[in-house]
Amino acid sequence: MKLRYHLFVIILFWGCKERLPVVDDFKNLSYKLTNQNNQEIIFPDFVKGKIVVMNFIFTNCPDICPLSSNNMRLIQEKLKREKVDNVQFVSLSFDPENDTPEVLRKFADIRNLDLSNWTFLTGDKFVTNAIIKKVGVMAVTSDSTIFKSGRKIYYYIHTDRIQLIDIEGKIRKNYKGSTINVDEIVADIKKL
Amino acid sequence: MKKELLIIITLIFTFNLITLAQQSKSRNSDIQIQKTWARPAVKYANSALYFVIENRGGKIDTLIGAQSNIAEETEVHESFKKDNDKIGMRPAGRIAIKPKSEFEFKPGGFHVMLLGVLKDLKIGDKIEAVLLLKYAGKIKVKAEVRDMPMTKEMK
Ligand SMILES: [Cu+2]
Repeated sequence: MKLRYHLFVIILFWGCKERLPVVDDFKNLSYKLTNQNNQEIIFPDFVKGKIVVMNFIFTNCPDICPLSSNNMRLIQEKLKREKVDNVQFVSLSFDPENDTPEVLRKFADIRNLDLSNWTFLTGDKFVTNAIIKKVGVMAVTSDSTIFKSGRKIYYYIHTDRIQLIDIEGKIRKNYKGSTINVDEIVADIKKL
Repeated sequence: MKKELLIIITLIFTFNLITLAQQSKSRNSDIQIQKTWARPAVKYANSALYFVIENRGGKIDTLIGAQSNIAEETEVHESFKKDNDKIGMRPAGRIAIKPKSEFEFKPGGFHVMLLGVLKDLKIGDKIEAVLLLKYAGKIKVKAEVRDMPMTKEMK
């Protein structure tokens, strides 16, 4: 009996060691957002029961941000090849004033992104700010460009992040979006 | 006699012109632009142009700016890292291109930012821009729109 108990504890301990720790939890929180098709989305409710791979973007960033989005695509393709489903991809804009649903949809379309399990989200700045604050992503405006037309766009200094969220809405691991190891996150997803 | 002199003068003049032309051509070709590509972007959004500048000459040159007809504004930018996990972008200023060396514009580093492109830049489209160098002058750059460069270059 005692031996069996010890074995149980050892197995439990080994199991825990293998599993990803919980970084943070969206439990009981919900945010009203809008997707690229201008539909209202409640986050994270709409992905409940699914593993979520999430990144944080502003579409005026054409240099390093697309590395993160392209890595999302590579993860999506690898999971598809390995027949791992039940994973939803989410890209949340922290620049909703510029990133309207239409801008996000065009951003995805021109890159031929597969939106069958990938949602782009925008919303009130108050709400997007609350989410990035919750998950520990920072985004502050720095330089800007003013066009001859008077239109002004801002550049952000922001956290370079892809985040893994489990089916219960718990944040399990953070990665650097532009340099993430695709094999690593796919292995982590399989562990969840 | 007079006729012969005229021919000789003409010949010398023509020869000088050819030499001059060759000189200016060879000075231009000291700067070579290779491995060009640009990011897709919808109309009014931003694209970025990448390339490798090779200075084959023995003299330093300086990239002082860029121009294009396909965007509202064209600026030379630099992405940078901050506090280990943050990234940003800023105007790059002048960039020295050392003699006998290559300087790479690549994602996460330097890029020519095409701000507010005037039409959709789809994958496979061809674009043109002009780089302004202190000595080599204006250099035309042609690039194809791609979603990524060769994966080998990305690592
Ligand atoms: Cu830029």
